[in-house]
Amino acid sequence: MGERVRGISRLSYAWRIAATLLGIGLLLNGSLRMSDDAWPLGPLSQYAFSPAKDETIVITRVEGMLADGRRIDLPLRVETAGISRAEIEARIPQITADPSLLRSVTEGWTSRHPEQPAPIRVWLVQDQIRLVDGRVGPRRLVELATWELPS
Amino acid sequence: MTTLRSVGSWFMPLVPESRVAVLRTVLYLFVIIDIHLFVRDPIPLSSHPELYQPLLIERLFRLPPPSVPLTITLYLILMIGCLVAAANVLPRLAGGVVAAAFTWWTAIGMSYGKVDHDHLALVVALWVLPTVGVIADRWRSVERSAQAGWALKCIQISVVFTYFLSALTKIRSGGWSITSWPDSSILLWAIVRRPHGLGQFLLPYPELLHVMQWLSFTAELTAVVVLWLKGRALLAAAVFWLGFHVFTVAILYIHFAPTAICWLAFAPLERFGPWLRRVKARWRERAGRRSARHPVPVLRNHPVDSGG
Repeated sequence: MGERVRGISRLSYAWRIAATLLGIGLLLNGSLRMSDDAWPLGPLSQYAFSPAKDETIVITRVEGMLADGRRIDLPLRVETAGISRAEIEARIPQITADPSLLRSVTEGWTSRHPEQPAPIRVWLVQDQIRLVDGRVGPRRLVELATWELPS
Repeated sequence: MTTLRSVGSWFMPLVPESRVAVLRTVLYLFVIIDIHLFVRDPIPLSSHPELYQPLLIERLFRLPPPSVPLTITLYLILMIGCLVAAANVLPRLAGGVVAAAFTWWTAIGMSYGKVDHDHLALVVALWVLPTVGVIADRWRSVERSAQAGWALKCIQISVVFTYFLSALTKIRSGGWSITSWPDSSILLWAIVRRPHGLGQFLLPYPELLHVMQWLSFTAELTAVVVLWLKGRALLAAAVFWLGFHVFTVAILYIHFAPTAICWLAFAPLERFGPWLRRVKARWRERAGRRSARHPVPVLRNHPVDSGG
Protein backbone atom coordinates (compact mmCIF):
# COMPACT_ATOMS: atom_id res chain seq x y z
CA MET A 1 0.00 0.00 0.00
CA GLY A 2 1.52 3.31 -1.06
CA GLU A 3 1.24 5.30 2.18
CA ARG A 4 1.79 9.04 2.09
CA VAL A 5 2.51 11.46 4.91
CA ARG A 6 0.76 14.81 5.07
CA GLY A 7 3.08 17.62 6.07
CA ILE A 8 2.54 19.96 9.00
CA SER A 9 3.63 23.58 9.22
CA ARG A 10 5.57 25.00 12.16
CA LEU A 11 2.58 27.13 13.10
CA SER A 12 0.19 24.15 13.09
CA TYR A 13 2.67 22.25 15.22
CA ALA A 14 3.13 25.10 17.67
CA TRP A 15 -0.54 25.91 18.29
CA ARG A 16 -1.33 22.24 18.84
CA ILE A 17 1.38 21.86 21.49
CA ALA A 18 0.23 25.11 23.13
CA ALA A 19 -3.44 24.03 23.07
CA THR A 20 -2.60 20.65 24.63
CA LEU A 21 -0.60 22.18 27.46
CA LEU A 22 -3.27 24.82 28.06
CA GLY A 23 -6.02 22.16 28.06
CA ILE A 24 -4.16 19.92 30.52
CA GLY A 25 -3.44 22.95 32.71
CA LEU A 26 -7.09 24.04 32.72
CA LEU A 27 -8.28 20.51 33.54
CA LEU A 28 -5.83 20.16 36.45
CA ASN A 29 -6.81 23.62 37.68
CA GLY A 30 -10.48 22.62 37.42
CA SER A 31 -10.04 19.49 39.51
CA LEU A 32 -7.74 21.02 42.09
CA ARG A 33 -9.32 24.46 42.55
CA MET A 34 -12.66 25.01 40.78
CA SER A 35 -16.29 23.99 41.36
CA ASP A 36 -18.91 22.36 39.13
CA ASP A 37 -19.69 25.83 37.79
CA ALA A 38 -16.57 25.57 35.59
CA TRP A 39 -17.96 22.63 33.52
CA PRO A 40 -16.54 21.23 31.23
CA LEU A 41 -13.28 22.29 32.90
CA GLY A 42 -14.46 21.79 36.48
CA PRO A 43 -13.70 18.99 38.93
CA LEU A 44 -14.94 15.47 38.19
CA SER A 45 -16.92 15.44 41.39
CA GLN A 46 -19.60 12.82 40.74
CA TYR A 47 -19.54 10.46 43.71
CA ALA A 48 -16.29 12.09 44.76
CA PHE A 49 -17.25 12.84 48.37
CA SER A 50 -16.80 10.66 51.43
CA PRO A 51 -19.99 9.86 53.40
CA ALA A 52 -19.25 8.91 57.02
CA LYS A 53 -20.27 5.61 58.62
CA ASP A 54 -23.15 7.40 60.41
CA GLU A 55 -24.25 9.50 57.42
CA THR A 56 -27.94 10.18 56.81
CA ILE A 57 -28.78 9.32 53.21
CA VAL A 58 -31.69 11.27 51.74
CA ILE A 59 -33.90 10.33 48.82
CA THR A 60 -35.93 13.30 47.64
CA ARG A 61 -39.37 12.64 46.19
CA VAL A 62 -42.50 14.50 45.23
CA GLU A 63 -45.89 13.13 46.25
CA GLY A 64 -49.21 14.42 44.99
CA MET A 65 -52.79 14.18 46.26
CA LEU A 66 -55.36 13.57 43.54
CA ALA A 67 -58.89 15.00 43.62
CA ASP A 68 -60.21 11.60 44.74
CA GLY A 69 -57.96 11.63 47.81
CA ARG A 70 -55.35 9.18 46.56
CA ARG A 71 -51.77 10.11 47.45
CA ILE A 72 -49.35 9.06 44.72
CA ASP A 73 -45.64 9.31 43.98
CA LEU A 74 -44.70 11.60 41.07
CA PRO A 75 -41.46 9.90 39.99
CA LEU A 76 -38.72 12.48 39.39
CA ARG A 77 -37.47 11.35 36.01
CA VAL A 78 -37.33 13.18 32.70
CA GLU A 79 -39.78 10.72 31.09
CA THR A 80 -42.35 10.98 33.89
CA ALA A 81 -42.04 14.56 35.17
CA GLY A 82 -39.83 16.36 32.64
CA ILE A 83 -37.24 16.93 35.38
CA SER A 84 -34.95 14.62 37.30
CA ARG A 85 -34.39 14.10 41.02
CA ALA A 86 -30.95 15.70 41.00
CA GLU A 87 -32.35 18.93 39.57
CA ILE A 88 -35.03 19.14 42.26
CA GLU A 89 -32.49 18.30 44.98
CA ALA A 90 -30.25 21.10 43.80
CA ARG A 91 -33.12 23.55 44.29
CA ILE A 92 -34.42 22.44 47.72
CA PRO A 93 -33.66 25.77 49.48
CA GLN A 94 -35.46 27.73 46.74
CA ILE A 95 -38.43 25.33 46.79
CA THR A 96 -38.86 25.46 50.58
CA ALA A 97 -38.76 29.27 50.33
CA ASP A 98 -41.23 29.29 47.42
CA PRO A 99 -43.11 25.95 47.15
CA SER A 100 -44.83 27.12 43.94
CA LEU A 101 -41.56 26.13 42.20
CA LEU A 102 -42.97 22.59 42.46
CA ARG A 103 -45.01 23.70 39.46
CA SER A 104 -42.15 22.39 37.29
CA VAL A 105 -42.93 18.87 38.52
CA THR A 106 -46.73 19.08 38.41
CA GLU A 107 -46.79 20.62 34.94
CA GLY A 108 -44.31 18.07 33.63
CA TRP A 109 -46.21 15.20 35.22
CA THR A 110 -49.69 16.39 34.13
CA SER A 111 -48.64 16.96 30.52
CA ARG A 112 -47.18 13.43 30.39
CA HIS A 113 -50.22 11.83 32.09
CA PRO A 114 -53.22 13.48 30.39
CA GLU A 115 -55.43 10.49 31.20
CA GLN A 116 -54.85 10.86 34.98
CA PRO A 117 -56.64 13.43 37.20
CA ALA A 118 -54.29 16.34 38.03
CA PRO A 119 -52.95 16.54 41.59
CA ILE A 120 -54.56 19.20 43.79
CA ARG A 121 -51.74 19.35 46.33
CA VAL A 122 -48.10 18.25 46.19
CA TRP A 123 -45.46 17.61 48.83
CA LEU A 124 -41.71 17.70 48.58
CA VAL A 125 -40.63 14.86 50.86
CA GLN A 126 -37.45 13.04 51.78
CA ASP A 127 -36.84 9.47 52.84
CA GLN A 128 -34.03 9.81 55.35
CA ILE A 129 -32.04 6.63 55.90
CA ARG A 130 -29.49 6.64 58.70
CA LEU A 131 -26.33 4.58 58.47
CA VAL A 132 -25.27 2.88 61.67
CA ASP A 133 -21.59 1.89 61.73
CA GLY A 134 -21.51 1.71 57.93
CA ARG A 135 -24.67 -0.39 57.63
CA VAL A 136 -28.19 0.55 56.58
CA GLY A 137 -30.19 1.65 59.64
CA PRO A 138 -33.64 3.13 60.34
CA ARG A 139 -35.63 5.12 57.76
CA ARG A 140 -38.07 8.02 58.27
CA LEU A 141 -40.15 10.30 56.05
CA VAL A 142 -39.75 14.08 56.33
CA GLU A 143 -41.95 16.72 54.67
CA LEU A 144 -40.02 19.71 53.32
CA ALA A 145 -42.68 21.73 51.50
CA THR A 146 -46.34 21.64 50.48
CA TRP A 147 -48.02 23.46 47.63
CA GLU A 148 -51.74 23.70 46.83
CA LEU A 149 -52.25 23.93 43.10
CA PRO A 150 -54.33 26.92 42.02
CA SER A 151 -57.73 25.58 40.92
CA MET B 1 16.05 20.19 21.05
CA THR B 2 15.81 16.40 20.64
CA THR B 3 13.81 16.18 23.88
CA LEU B 4 11.48 18.88 22.55
CA ARG B 5 11.09 16.98 19.29
CA SER B 6 10.39 13.68 21.06
CA VAL B 7 7.81 15.38 23.32
CA GLY B 8 6.24 16.82 20.16
CA SER B 9 6.15 13.48 18.40
CA TRP B 10 4.56 11.91 21.50
CA PHE B 11 1.74 14.45 21.32
CA MET B 12 1.58 14.20 17.52
CA PRO B 13 2.40 10.70 16.31
CA LEU B 14 1.95 9.91 12.62
CA VAL B 15 -1.36 8.06 12.50
CA PRO B 16 -3.50 6.83 9.57
CA GLU B 17 -6.07 9.50 8.74
CA SER B 18 -8.64 6.79 7.99
CA ARG B 19 -8.66 6.15 11.74
CA VAL B 20 -9.97 9.68 12.30
CA ALA B 21 -12.45 9.32 9.39
CA VAL B 22 -13.98 6.18 10.98
CA LEU B 23 -13.96 7.72 14.46
CA ARG B 24 -15.78 10.78 13.11
CA THR B 25 -18.56 8.60 11.72
CA VAL B 26 -18.94 6.71 15.00
CA LEU B 27 -18.80 9.73 17.32
CA TYR B 28 -21.11 12.00 15.30
CA LEU B 29 -23.68 9.20 15.11
CA PHE B 30 -23.18 8.67 18.85
CA VAL B 31 -24.02 12.34 19.49
CA ILE B 32 -27.42 11.71 17.88
CA ILE B 33 -27.96 8.81 20.31
CA ASP B 34 -26.66 10.95 23.19
CA ILE B 35 -29.15 13.80 22.72
CA HIS B 36 -32.00 11.27 22.72
CA LEU B 37 -30.88 8.96 25.54
CA PHE B 38 -28.39 10.73 27.82
CA VAL B 39 -28.46 14.53 27.72
CA ARG B 40 -32.11 14.37 26.71
CA ASP B 41 -33.61 16.99 29.01
CA PRO B 42 -32.63 20.43 27.59
CA ILE B 43 -35.95 20.84 25.74
CA PRO B 44 -38.24 19.99 28.72
CA LEU B 45 -35.93 21.86 31.15
CA SER B 46 -35.93 24.99 29.00
CA SER B 47 -39.61 25.50 29.81
CA HIS B 48 -38.63 26.19 33.46
CA PRO B 49 -36.64 29.44 33.31
CA GLU B 50 -37.16 29.88 37.07
CA LEU B 51 -34.82 26.92 37.73
CA TYR B 52 -32.07 27.96 35.30
CA GLN B 53 -28.68 28.85 36.79
CA PRO B 54 -26.15 29.51 34.03
CA LEU B 55 -22.71 27.90 34.29
CA LEU B 56 -19.50 29.92 34.00
CA ILE B 57 -19.18 29.08 30.29
CA GLU B 58 -22.70 30.42 29.59
CA ARG B 59 -22.03 33.62 31.52
CA LEU B 60 -18.61 34.07 29.90
CA PHE B 61 -20.00 33.87 26.36
CA ARG B 62 -23.17 35.75 27.35
CA LEU B 63 -25.34 32.94 26.00
CA PRO B 64 -29.06 33.73 26.10
CA PRO B 65 -31.12 31.80 28.67
CA PRO B 66 -32.58 28.64 27.12
CA SER B 67 -36.12 28.76 25.78
CA VAL B 68 -38.08 26.03 24.03
CA PRO B 69 -37.56 27.53 20.51
CA LEU B 70 -33.82 27.85 21.24
CA THR B 71 -33.36 24.27 22.43
CA ILE B 72 -35.43 22.91 19.52
CA THR B 73 -33.24 24.91 17.11
CA LEU B 74 -30.11 23.50 18.76
CA TYR B 75 -31.61 20.01 18.45
CA LEU B 76 -32.25 20.44 14.73
CA ILE B 77 -28.76 21.90 14.15
CA LEU B 78 -27.24 18.92 15.96
CA MET B 79 -29.26 16.38 13.97
CA ILE B 80 -28.34 17.88 10.58
CA GLY B 81 -24.75 18.73 11.58
CA CYS B 82 -24.07 15.23 12.91
CA LEU B 83 -25.37 13.51 9.78
CA VAL B 84 -23.22 15.73 7.53
CA ALA B 85 -20.13 15.39 9.74
CA ALA B 86 -20.60 11.61 10.16
CA ALA B 87 -20.27 11.33 6.36
CA ASN B 88 -16.93 13.20 6.58
CA VAL B 89 -18.45 15.97 4.47
CA LEU B 90 -17.45 19.58 5.29
CA PRO B 91 -15.50 18.31 8.30
CA ARG B 92 -14.36 21.71 9.57
CA LEU B 93 -17.67 23.53 9.15
CA ALA B 94 -20.06 20.73 10.14
CA GLY B 95 -17.70 19.49 12.87
CA GLY B 96 -17.23 23.00 14.27
CA VAL B 97 -20.99 23.61 14.34
CA VAL B 98 -21.62 20.27 16.09
CA ALA B 99 -18.86 20.98 18.64
CA ALA B 100 -20.30 24.38 19.55
CA ALA B 101 -23.95 23.25 19.48
CA PHE B 102 -23.31 20.10 21.52
CA THR B 103 -21.23 21.97 24.11
CA TRP B 104 -24.07 24.49 24.51
CA TRP B 105 -26.74 21.76 24.53
CA THR B 106 -24.90 19.79 27.24
CA ALA B 107 -24.17 22.96 29.23
CA ILE B 108 -27.93 23.72 29.21
CA GLY B 109 -28.62 20.18 30.44
CA MET B 110 -26.25 20.86 33.36
CA SER B 111 -27.53 24.34 34.23
CA TYR B 112 -30.41 23.19 36.40
CA GLY B 113 -28.40 22.00 39.37
CA LYS B 114 -26.88 18.68 38.33
CA VAL B 115 -23.52 18.53 36.60
CA ASP B 116 -22.39 15.20 35.14
CA HIS B 117 -18.83 14.30 34.29
CA ASP B 118 -19.15 11.61 31.68
CA HIS B 119 -18.94 13.99 28.71
CA LEU B 120 -15.40 15.36 29.04
CA ALA B 121 -13.79 13.07 26.44
CA LEU B 122 -16.70 13.40 23.99
CA VAL B 123 -16.73 17.21 24.17
CA VAL B 124 -12.95 17.31 23.65
CA ALA B 125 -13.30 14.86 20.74
CA LEU B 126 -15.89 17.04 19.03
CA TRP B 127 -13.59 20.09 19.28
CA VAL B 128 -10.45 18.35 18.00
CA LEU B 129 -11.90 16.16 15.23
CA PRO B 130 -12.58 19.10 12.86
CA THR B 131 -8.94 20.26 13.15
CA VAL B 132 -7.79 17.31 11.03
CA GLY B 133 -9.60 18.92 8.11
CA VAL B 134 -10.53 17.19 4.87
CA ILE B 135 -9.44 13.56 4.70
CA ALA B 136 -9.10 12.57 1.06
CA ASP B 137 -10.87 9.26 0.36
CA ARG B 138 -12.26 9.30 3.93
CA TRP B 139 -12.38 5.69 5.26
CA ARG B 140 -10.17 4.62 2.33
CA SER B 141 -7.48 7.21 3.00
CA VAL B 142 -3.91 5.91 2.80
CA GLU B 143 -2.39 9.05 4.25
CA ARG B 144 -0.81 9.40 7.70
CA SER B 145 -0.51 12.68 9.51
CA ALA B 146 0.54 14.34 12.74
CA GLN B 147 -2.74 16.27 12.59
CA ALA B 148 -4.67 13.00 12.93
CA GLY B 149 -2.24 11.81 15.62
CA TRP B 150 -2.75 14.97 17.68
CA ALA B 151 -6.56 14.77 17.53
CA LEU B 152 -6.50 11.14 18.67
CA LYS B 153 -3.94 11.85 21.40
CA CYS B 154 -6.16 14.64 22.78
CA ILE B 155 -9.13 12.26 22.96
CA GLN B 156 -6.97 9.57 24.59
CA ILE B 157 -5.69 12.03 27.19
CA SER B 158 -9.26 13.16 27.97
CA VAL B 159 -10.41 9.54 28.40
CA VAL B 160 -7.72 8.66 30.94
CA PHE B 161 -8.00 12.09 32.60
CA THR B 162 -11.69 11.39 33.21
CA TYR B 163 -10.52 8.69 35.61
CA PHE B 164 -7.35 10.31 36.91
CA LEU B 165 -8.97 13.69 37.63
CA SER B 166 -11.88 12.03 39.39
CA ALA B 167 -9.34 10.38 41.70
CA LEU B 168 -7.71 13.79 42.30
CA THR B 169 -11.13 15.28 43.09
CA LYS B 170 -11.75 12.47 45.59
CA ILE B 171 -8.44 13.23 47.32
CA ARG B 172 -9.29 16.94 47.37
CA SER B 173 -12.84 16.47 48.68
CA GLY B 174 -11.57 14.23 51.46
CA GLY B 175 -9.39 17.04 52.78
CA TRP B 176 -6.34 16.02 50.70
CA SER B 177 -6.41 12.52 52.13
CA ILE B 178 -5.72 9.38 50.10
CA THR B 179 -7.77 7.09 52.36
CA SER B 180 -10.90 9.11 53.15
CA TRP B 181 -12.79 8.25 49.92
CA PRO B 182 -11.95 4.55 49.62
CA ASP B 183 -12.67 4.08 53.34
CA SER B 184 -15.97 5.99 53.20
CA SER B 185 -19.53 4.67 52.78
CA ILE B 186 -19.85 6.11 49.26
CA LEU B 187 -20.89 2.92 47.44
CA LEU B 188 -23.42 2.10 50.15
CA TRP B 189 -24.75 5.65 49.82
CA ALA B 190 -24.99 5.34 46.03
CA ILE B 191 -26.73 1.95 46.13
CA VAL B 192 -29.27 3.10 48.74
CA ARG B 193 -30.13 6.07 46.52
CA ARG B 194 -30.30 3.98 43.35
CA PRO B 195 -31.85 0.75 44.55
CA HIS B 196 -32.75 -0.67 41.16
CA GLY B 197 -29.52 -2.38 40.09
CA LEU B 198 -27.79 -5.52 41.34
CA GLY B 199 -26.08 -3.37 43.97
CA GLN B 200 -28.86 -4.01 46.49
CA PHE B 201 -27.53 -7.56 46.86
CA LEU B 202 -24.22 -6.08 48.04
CA LEU B 203 -25.82 -3.89 50.75
CA PRO B 204 -25.27 -6.48 53.53
CA TYR B 205 -21.52 -6.59 52.75
CA PRO B 206 -20.00 -3.14 53.44
CA GLU B 207 -16.51 -4.67 53.70
CA LEU B 208 -16.77 -5.92 50.12
CA LEU B 209 -17.90 -2.44 49.04
CA HIS B 210 -14.75 -0.99 50.66
CA VAL B 211 -12.56 -3.43 48.71
CA MET B 212 -14.32 -2.33 45.50
CA GLN B 213 -13.76 1.34 46.41
CA TRP B 214 -10.03 0.72 46.95
CA LEU B 215 -9.77 -1.13 43.63
CA SER B 216 -11.54 1.53 41.60
CA PHE B 217 -9.69 4.39 43.32
CA THR B 218 -6.29 2.75 42.64
CA ALA B 219 -7.25 2.10 39.02
CA GLU B 220 -8.38 5.71 38.58
CA LEU B 221 -5.27 7.16 40.16
CA THR B 222 -2.99 5.10 37.90
CA ALA B 223 -5.11 5.38 34.71
CA VAL B 224 -2.61 7.75 33.06
CA VAL B 225 -0.29 4.77 32.51
CA VAL B 226 -2.66 3.64 29.72
CA LEU B 227 -1.23 6.42 27.52
CA TRP B 228 2.06 4.52 27.32
CA LEU B 229 0.64 1.02 26.80
CA LYS B 230 0.75 -0.78 23.47
CA GLY B 231 -0.60 -3.97 21.90
CA ARG B 232 -2.01 -6.58 24.28
CA ALA B 233 -1.34 -4.50 27.40
CA LEU B 234 -3.42 -1.68 25.90
CA LEU B 235 -6.15 -4.12 24.93
CA ALA B 236 -6.16 -5.53 28.47
CA ALA B 237 -6.48 -2.02 29.93
CA ALA B 238 -9.35 -1.18 27.56
CA VAL B 239 -11.14 -4.41 28.45
CA PHE B 240 -10.63 -3.68 32.17
CA TRP B 241 -12.11 -0.16 31.92
CA LEU B 242 -15.01 -1.18 29.68
CA GLY B 243 -15.68 -4.00 32.19
CA PHE B 244 -15.60 -1.39 34.96
CA HIS B 245 -18.34 0.58 33.15
CA VAL B 246 -20.45 -2.55 32.62
CA PHE B 247 -20.08 -3.24 36.34
CA THR B 248 -21.24 0.24 37.42
CA VAL B 249 -24.22 -0.11 35.10
CA ALA B 250 -25.08 -3.46 36.68
CA ILE B 251 -24.84 -2.37 40.31
CA LEU B 252 -25.90 1.30 40.09
CA TYR B 253 -27.48 1.92 36.68
CA ILE B 254 -24.75 4.50 36.12
CA HIS B 255 -23.25 4.31 32.68
CA PHE B 256 -20.36 6.31 31.28
CA ALA B 257 -21.28 5.62 27.65
CA PRO B 258 -19.91 8.95 26.30
CA THR B 259 -16.51 8.14 27.87
CA ALA B 260 -16.65 4.45 26.93
CA ILE B 261 -17.24 5.20 23.22
CA CYS B 262 -14.16 7.46 23.20
CA TRP B 263 -11.99 4.43 24.03
CA LEU B 264 -12.20 3.86 20.27
CA ALA B 265 -9.55 6.59 19.95
CA PHE B 266 -7.07 3.89 21.06
CA ALA B 267 -8.27 1.32 18.50
CA PRO B 268 -6.74 0.58 15.07
CA LEU B 269 -9.92 1.77 13.36
CA GLU B 270 -8.12 2.06 10.00
CA ARG B 271 -8.61 -1.71 9.69
CA PHE B 272 -12.39 -1.33 9.75
CA GLY B 273 -12.80 0.00 6.18
CA PRO B 274 -10.76 -2.79 4.48
CA TRP B 275 -12.42 -5.41 6.71
CA LEU B 276 -15.88 -4.15 5.72
CA ARG B 277 -14.90 -4.22 2.04
CA ARG B 278 -13.64 -7.82 2.35
CA VAL B 279 -16.86 -8.88 4.06
CA LYS B 280 -18.92 -7.18 1.35
CA ALA B 281 -16.85 -8.76 -1.45
CA ARG B 282 -17.16 -12.21 0.11
CA TRP B 283 -20.90 -11.72 0.52
CA ARG B 284 -21.23 -10.65 -3.09
CA GLU B 285 -19.12 -13.60 -4.24
CA ARG B 286 -21.25 -16.01 -2.24
CA ALA B 287 -24.45 -14.46 -3.61
CA GLY B 288 -23.03 -14.86 -7.15
CA ARG B 289 -22.13 -18.51 -6.57
CA ARG B 290 -25.57 -19.24 -5.14
CA SER B 291 -27.29 -17.80 -8.18
CA ALA B 292 -24.99 -19.90 -10.44
CA ARG B 293 -25.90 -23.11 -8.57
CA HIS B 294 -29.64 -22.57 -8.92
CA PRO B 295 -31.34 -23.23 -12.27
CA VAL B 296 -31.94 -19.99 -14.09
CA PRO B 297 -35.54 -19.70 -15.21
CA VAL B 298 -35.85 -19.94 -18.96
CA LEU B 299 -38.42 -17.87 -20.73
CA ARG B 300 -41.05 -19.91 -22.55
CA ASN B 301 -40.23 -23.05 -20.64
CA HIS B 302 -39.53 -25.31 -23.62
CA PRO B 303 -36.71 -27.81 -23.95
CA VAL B 304 -34.39 -26.27 -26.47
CA ASP B 305 -34.04 -29.49 -28.45
CA SER B 306 -37.72 -30.37 -28.57
CA GLY B 307 -39.22 -30.25 -31.94
CA GLY B 308 -42.21 -27.92 -32.25
